[in-house]
Amino acid sequence: MGTQDVQPPIIHFDSLDKILSLGRANSLWPMTFGLACCAIEMMATGASRFDLARFGAEVFRPSPRQCDVMIVAGTISKKMEPAVKTLYDQMPEPKWVIAMGNCAISGGPFVFEGQYGIVEGADKFLPVDIYIPGCPPRPEALIEGILELEEKVTGFRRWPRVEAK
Amino acid sequence: MNGFLQQDLNQETFTLNLGPQHPATHGVLRVKLVMDGEYIVEAEPVLGYIHRMHEKMGENRTWAKFLPNCGRMDYLSALSYNHGYVAAVERAAGIEVPERAEYLRVITVELNRISSHLLWFGAFVLDLGGFTPLLYAFDDREQILDLLESVTGSRLTYCYFRFGGVYNDIDDAFITGTRAFIKRLRKRMPMYDALVTKNIILIKRLKDIGPISKDMARRYGATGPVARGSGINFDVRRHEPYSVYPEFDFDIPVYEEGDSMARYMVRMDEIEQSMRIVEQALDKLPEGEIKPKKAVKMVKPEKGDYYHAVEAARGSFGVRLVSDGTNSAYRLKLRSPTYSNLSLFGEAARGMLLPDALALMGSLDLVIPEIDR
Amino acid sequence: MLLAKIKEALSSLYEDIQEAPEEPAIEEAAAEAVPEAEAAPAPEAPAEEGGAAQDAEAETEEPEPAPPPGPKEMDYKAKGFHLDVALEPEKVVAAAEILNRENFFIEAITGVDWIDEQQLEVVYDFNHFAELCRVVVRARLDRSNPEIPTISHIYQGANWHERETHDFFGIIFTGHPNLEPLLLPEDADFHPLLKDFKA
Repeated sequence: MGTQDVQPPIIHFDSLDKILSLGRANSLWPMTFGLACCAIEMMATGASRFDLARFGAEVFRPSPRQCDVMIVAGTISKKMEPAVKTLYDQMPEPKWVIAMGNCAISGGPFVFEGQYGIVEGADKFLPVDIYIPGCPPRPEALIEGILELEEKVTGFRRWPRVEAK
Repeated sequence: MNGFLQQDLNQETFTLNLGPQHPATHGVLRVKLVMDGEYIVEAEPVLGYIHRMHEKMGENRTWAKFLPNCGRMDYLSALSYNHGYVAAVERAAGIEVPERAEYLRVITVELNRISSHLLWFGAFVLDLGGFTPLLYAFDDREQILDLLESVTGSRLTYCYFRFGGVYNDIDDAFITGTRAFIKRLRKRMPMYDALVTKNIILIKRLKDIGPISKDMARRYGATGPVARGSGINFDVRRHEPYSVYPEFDFDIPVYEEGDSMARYMVRMDEIEQSMRIVEQALDKLPEGEIKPKKAVKMVKPEKGDYYHAVEAARGSFGVRLVSDGTNSAYRLKLRSPTYSNLSLFGEAARGMLLPDALALMGSLDLVIPEIDR
Repeated sequence: MLLAKIKEALSSLYEDIQEAPEEPAIEEAAAEAVPEAEAAPAPEAPAEEGGAAQDAEAETEEPEPAPPPGPKEMDYKAKGFHLDVALEPEKVVAAAEILNRENFFIEAITGVDWIDEQQLEVVYDFNHFAELCRVVVRARLDRSNPEIPTISHIYQGANWHERETHDFFGIIFTGHPNLEPLLLPEDADFHPLLKDFKA
């Protein structure tokens, strides 16, 4: 998961690692991978009111070769699964996966006895780092998911946590 | 030299795959293109990448348990889909809807239509290369989403209608908020008009691109703004009135040219007409119940098959349900408008340049989960 | 009126049915009572149960209610469509040609699995742009060998509708240019909406 497949350097510089991971966290480039309804909330997060660009993640690249994080937003159908795996494989290391929405976590509202068409969750075939529940999750939830991912990458939380009143 | 080149040209076609992952405006659509340079020789859409088995779930779930599915078919105008399904079941089971509930339905459906057209507008211009109108359109859209969230509880995939009415009433904050929003949007529409619609680049990219004739629209069953942009005056709200639409005074924009510019103008005009409907509905809103007096405990339509159509943002959405008297459908067929609209892409895109074909596809206003159901 | 015109045009398809003693409705649309068959049941009676009413000649006792021949007018407010036309599978192309001449458009094609009667039903929905008139054409097929001619050469929109119906029910539309899976994966060999489908 995450940076596991990166070849570790022969000499480890601790502060250099910290700076590199801070740099990576500050500019996570997501891939535009909206499959269904959650894609619209992802677009809304990148748009004017919620503005994901504040957190460095504004550049949604269509090409997987240029991204760090793949936000699986929407239901994965069995017909689409090979394409998703191909896109994941095409991303360069280090890479992360966020499963956004109930469908990407566990199939969502489309799981029923005798279902023939969807894959019940992105973690059936991808290593998922962050799960964002909701159907669809609010843009604030997606931002919180990105911040959690940044915490996972750097090891400390860089933004204040929102307390429930 | 011409003959030599012609022969060579025939061997120069290559197959290009468009999608299923491309910038996330439309969804997961794959188009197999046979290209001759930049010209399309043949285009064949491939569907099924987001097939979520709605019709099978219609048979497995009870009538009421299917309601959340309606919002997820076409998530941009989810309330129209709610309306179509609920109205079909009400027709089948003979449930009466109180008048205030009908007015609330119309108000929320028309607000949803405006938000769907605004998102289409932003995404369409994004396809053509302009990023900024998307941000402006989303700003307006967020205001509608705030209003609808205060009533229905959700931002995108609404499940607000129930059999025989709606489940939540509106308050004064909603009414004043909606009136303020309409005033604000009316002031902003001239800005969209001046900056985008009259923009010479947009005009050059859309005028005379992707012509769809009346006969083509008829043979493929295209409805909605695609048909109205080709000169066919067909709108289910006027043609086959349902709910309380006969009480409102609104126009149906119809443009004759049949190109992408005409379809664009139809949708921009429809935003204004929807605002008119919402204003009139707020003025005439009656007091009363929002749920039927006799609570509908268990919906059990009579045996037989029924049909009901509503005007969704993309065309005529029809529900054909076959009931066998039990508490779930025997067969639920959802006639999605974009399915018929997209089927003419194969014939309409022949001989076009690839960017023009994308402009045509954007002007058809596709939402792929609605096609795949 | 369009409804009367199309009803009369479609009645011509029933003229060669031997069992029907009554002539199909050549009268005006106002005279809804087709003699002997539909006089008694209420107009909302669904087509599948129409045969169960006082039909003298139709097979009423058998579990397969054959719809009585002739286009039936329906109560639009209750059912949502105007004309219900039950035909033999071979006549569907002729019906589509008649409707195409009158400028109807194809709204949907779907199937219904009547497993108790071992039949598959194909239902065609047509509508008109200028004047509201919904015509529903039905055809019943044998479940073990469901074949019906295609109408995609008349209505090109039917191309995708028929592919989808084939996907879901396994109905073969003979003459269709490419009857491949549309919504299911390309190599799918199952038909999910059949009632005896197990995932």
